[in-house]
Amino acid sequence: MRPVRTFALGTALAATLWAQQFQFNLDYLSSKASNSFDVSLNTSMLQFAARFLDTKDPDEAKVKKLIVGIEGIYIKSFEFKNPGGYAPADLEKVRTQLKAPEWSRIVGMKSGGESENIEVWARNEKGKVTGVAILASEPRQLTVANLVGNIDLESLADLGGHFGLPNLPKAPKKK
Amino acid sequence: MDWLEQELADALARKEPAAGFDGRVRARLHRGPRWLAAAAAVLVVVGGGEAWRQYRGELAKEQVMTAMRIAGSKLNRVQVQLKGTEQ
Repeated sequence: MRPVRTFALGTALAATLWAQQFQFNLDYLSSKASNSFDVSLNTSMLQFAARFLDTKDPDEAKVKKLIVGIEGIYIKSFEFKNPGGYAPADLEKVRTQLKAPEWSRIVGMKSGGESENIEVWARNEKGKVTGVAILASEPRQLTVANLVGNIDLESLADLGGHFGLPNLPKAPKKK
Repeated sequence: MDWLEQELADALARKEPAAGFDGRVRARLHRGPRWLAAAAAVLVVVGGGEAWRQYRGELAKEQVMTAMRIAGSKLNRVQVQLKGTEQ
C-alpha cells in the first residue's frame, strides 16, 4: 500500500511542478509571517472557479474574461510585522531560476526610496508568451507569482487599479 | 367424524404463532417503509454533495479574486510608475 501512496503523491507533486514554471521554495517563511496567502490553481480549478464568477458583478466579469487564457495561477505572498522577515537570498533563489532564453525581465521597478521593488518577467516559448513571473518585495512584504498561459497584462494591471489602487489616466494616443 | 371432517378440523384449528412473532410485527410497523429510508439517504448524499460543491466553488472563486487582486495591484504599481516616468 505504501509504494502506491508514494507513487500517487509523487505524481500529484510532479503535476503541480509541471504546471508551475518555477519553484518558489518559500514555505518556511509562513511561520515567520504575520499574514500569508498561498494559492495554487491549475486549469481545472480555474475552470471550476469560473463557473462561480458572477458576470453581473463588474470585477468578477473582468476576472472571468481574463482567466480564459490562463492555465494556472500560483502565488505566495507574505506580510511580516517587522522589516527583515525575509532575506534577500530568499528572493534570489527564485530569481536564479528565471533564466534566458525562456525567461526575460520585461520590467523592473524601484520606488519609495528603493524600498519597494517589483520585477516582471515573461516566459517565451516559440515566440509566444506562455507565462509571467512577478517578484515584489517591500521591507515587510514579499510576493512571488507565476501566472501560466496567455496573460493580458494590461487588463490585469487595470484590474489591479480598479481593485484598490488608483486607475491610470488613459495614455494619450500617438499621432 | 369421517376423514374430511378430521382434515377440516385440523386445518382450521387455532395455532399459536412462533416465538417472537408479535415483536417482529410491531418492530416492522415502527420501522416504516424501506424505500423511504433509502430515498432520505439518497437525498442527504446528493444534497450534501451539492452543498460541498458549492462551498468548494465559492472558495476557488475567492482564491482567484484574491490572486488577481494581488497580481493586478503589483502590475498596476509598475504601470503607474512607468506612466510617471514617461510624463
